[in-house]
Amino acid sequence: MNNKLAIIITVIVTLFFGVFFIYPVVDILKEAFTADDGVGGTSFTWDYMFTVFGNPIYLEGLWNAFAIGVMSTIVTFLIALPLALAAYRWVFPGKKWLSVLILAPLVLPPFVGAVGVKHILGVEGALNAFLIDFMLMDANSPTDWLGKSKFWGVVLMNALHLYPILFMNVLAALHKLDPAMEQAAQNLGASPWKRFRKITMPLCMPGIFAGAAIVFIWSFTELGVPLVFEYSRVAPVQIYEGITDLTGNPTPYALVSIMLVISLGVFLVSKLVLGKNALGYSGRAKARYAEKTLSGLWGWGMSTAFILVFAIAAIPHFGVIFLSVSGDWYGTILPESMTLAHYGDGLGHSVVVGSIRNSLLYSFGATAVNVVLGLAIAWVIVRSTVWGRSVLDALMMLPLAVPGLVLAFGYLSLSDGVFSPLMGATGDPMVLLILVYAIRRLPFIVRAAVAGLQLSDPVLEETARTMGASPGRTFMRIGLPLIGSSLSAGAILAFAFSMLEVTDSLILAQQTEHYPITKAIYVLLSMLGNGQEVAASLGVWAMTFLGISIGAAFVLVGRKCGGMFRL
Amino acid sequence: MVIGVFKQSVMEAIRLEKVRKRYGKGVLALDKVSLTIEEGELFFLLGPSGCGKTTLLRSIAGLERPNTGRIYFGERNITDVPTHKREAAMMFQSYALWPHMTVGENVAFGLEERGIDGDELVDRTLEALAGVQLEGYEDRKIEELSGGQQQRVALARALVVRPKCLLLDEPLSNLDTQLRVEMRGEIRRIVKDYGLTAVYVTHDKEEALSIADKIAVINDGRIEQVGTPDQIYREPETKHVAAFMGEVNFLKGKVDWVVKDTEDEYVVRVLTDAGEILQGKVTEPGWRPQVGETLSAALRPEVLRFDDSGDVINQIQGKVLERVYQGPTIQYLIRTEIGVYLQVAVMNPRKLVEPGDMVSITARQQDVVMLRP
Repeated sequence: MNNKLAIIITVIVTLFFGVFFIYPVVDILKEAFTADDGVGGTSFTWDYMFTVFGNPIYLEGLWNAFAIGVMSTIVTFLIALPLALAAYRWVFPGKKWLSVLILAPLVLPPFVGAVGVKHILGVEGALNAFLIDFMLMDANSPTDWLGKSKFWGVVLMNALHLYPILFMNVLAALHKLDPAMEQAAQNLGASPWKRFRKITMPLCMPGIFAGAAIVFIWSFTELGVPLVFEYSRVAPVQIYEGITDLTGNPTPYALVSIMLVISLGVFLVSKLVLGKNALGYSGRAKARYAEKTLSGLWGWGMSTAFILVFAIAAIPHFGVIFLSVSGDWYGTILPESMTLAHYGDGLGHSVVVGSIRNSLLYSFGATAVNVVLGLAIAWVIVRSTVWGRSVLDALMMLPLAVPGLVLAFGYLSLSDGVFSPLMGATGDPMVLLILVYAIRRLPFIVRAAVAGLQLSDPVLEETARTMGASPGRTFMRIGLPLIGSSLSAGAILAFAFSMLEVTDSLILAQQTEHYPITKAIYVLLSMLGNGQEVAASLGVWAMTFLGISIGAAFVLVGRKCGGMFRL
Repeated sequence: MVIGVFKQSVMEAIRLEKVRKRYGKGVLALDKVSLTIEEGELFFLLGPSGCGKTTLLRSIAGLERPNTGRIYFGERNITDVPTHKREAAMMFQSYALWPHMTVGENVAFGLEERGIDGDELVDRTLEALAGVQLEGYEDRKIEELSGGQQQRVALARALVVRPKCLLLDEPLSNLDTQLRVEMRGEIRRIVKDYGLTAVYVTHDKEEALSIADKIAVINDGRIEQVGTPDQIYREPETKHVAAFMGEVNFLKGKVDWVVKDTEDEYVVRVLTDAGEILQGKVTEPGWRPQVGETLSAALRPEVLRFDDSGDVINQIQGKVLERVYQGPTIQYLIRTEIGVYLQVAVMNPRKLVEPGDMVSITARQQDVVMLRP
């Protein structure tokens, strides 16, 4: 009786997933590998692959994207790993607030931050102005920091945006570790360094690699940042520019397919080869690691290090904030005059107001879909004994492996065909955007719901049933309230990140009246007059909004938020 | 006490017929278990961890579905009835109190699910709390309660719905020793006052012996023996039951002669390798040992006593190796001439025997149980 419901849910979810996730992806592959055979049919072909690999521009684009992915992951690592270890091992002044503060960079889509960075590191930016003012640079030949190396600019933006994800992953992995593992090594005489190298690191590898894979896929397929930095020799930008003449041009499909295969490959490697569930995990941590208090100078030193990381990671954010209130910011350290006019302009601007409404609508829709699906799926995975529920579990994690770029592209190519009934009368992409947002964030909410259910003892529900409550009533009265906090935290995060979806919004929303916030910001950036400043003010709205959301999620589930990114 | 209100006549016998449960392709948790629990009985399922006792209880509750076999409440076959329609309230080892509800809300839950509201809901909830000596606790939060109080709330919550039977899964294992002894008496009192059929799972033989009406000893998914505490302890039918219920000495011997006594039991005499002659009764129903067959004589430490009367039957010679003072008793370890070790417990000893002394020990025929080897 229990399983009947579970089977129904599994079938519905799988169908939903098949149509709105697998099918668009497969369709891209189909387009990339079939050609008209001239007699009205189609046949398999490698031609487009040859075209891509024979074209030095595409090859360079792919190589650059790959290099950005790898370098971003490494830099992210260098920032996140020491922070996570420090937060795990030591207590220092202000630790509680500092470990939340360093997550703050998540609140801004990196491409918006890139605008801020341009005003700080650009030729006429604040840094050069500072150097010139203090006679450290010749005013007549200022250095073009970003122009010299857009590549590193993109890497830096990615790393500064993504390190919180890795930080939370590693910290969660560390906290799942049975402290007795380390204590045993200590007891046998291992030095702290050896203990770290021989015990802690190997046992945390699965968590670290899972996080690293997400970071890699994210930066490998990042579209917004290179667009803003005008770094066009990178595959995602080439794909984006190829969209304009999609009909009869299969090259973007081929490029997307290649990116898909690489992303999937990295994801699978991280899951299968490196992510084998390690021994040494205590499931639910039975004992907490005894943190050591860093005293005096050491403690304050560590706090300073955390503040420093935050300060550097927040440069783009400050750039955006300053830009949004600047009357004129050109060749000076700080804006020459401050004004709130851009906020006023923004609220009077049809694009801005419409985009806020659209984003809210799309994100609410996506979150609603997510909560319903996520709950049902989590219930099947944790509480039922249906065959194949572990397959379902793995399937739900797949959207992490499929870049937003790929999915959006698949939707776009289907929007003229099979998905056309889902488009509104005037080409309104609302349904498609809700679906694509929902699918993209589903892993997070499934994780959150699964984690919540796993933590609540099934005995609590069994008792209710022996008291005479039907399975449905049991779920409503016991199951749901008990996982409520982690579920709503998951929902808030899913909602917040939907608000800030970049790639799919840029690709799928094509008419001004349908723009969500992110696309509006992107379009405003290239508008003459105070477009950049208005875009920045919209960015500040988004930042404030996301900051509050993430704060709320933390209040709801304490600091266990990391668990939601542990995938 | 306001127990009178709860007095009920809905209690029912529980009958299991060849219940078999296998988890996946793995462990056979229950191997064709048949069992009858009479109405109003406080019935214990006793066995080591992993023996299948909890699976059996969960099958009665409807939380596990047997692969084959049938379960009856009274005359009604409830094998396919879902848990929430069985009216078998269960109390879990962890108490499973809902942390998001107050004490009162926890207790009222089952009543609400039965559509009871208004004054009756409040009255019955308060009565149930009073029944477990928790008057005035209804607005407390669960985490404010001590372990013993949580245990009482769980009990009240199970009882308030006037279940047809009460299922208890190791209800006392999370309490400290003193409270455990107190609460087991309390549970028996409540079960008897309410006139419930109760099934009680535990691995603690003392708990079972002290309050059970009947005990089923379970091992490896099978029922080894069902009986009153006295039967189970003093007349075990298998070596496993004998060993599980307490310390016991086994002596192997060959059957010399067999006879049926006045109570229709077989009395057997065996010769051990050391030449001792042991005489005792056969407890396994319907088993008549054959002359020449090897079997084990089971003797509990407390049935042995020092004796130099010179009798021949049930007389064992040995040397004292160790003496352990245990308060009420003194425990001796004795090695017989052919190297068999025996435990002897002497209560209230008048004279101490020293390690190294040669002693002769004996037991009465009715205290010697003859079992399959």
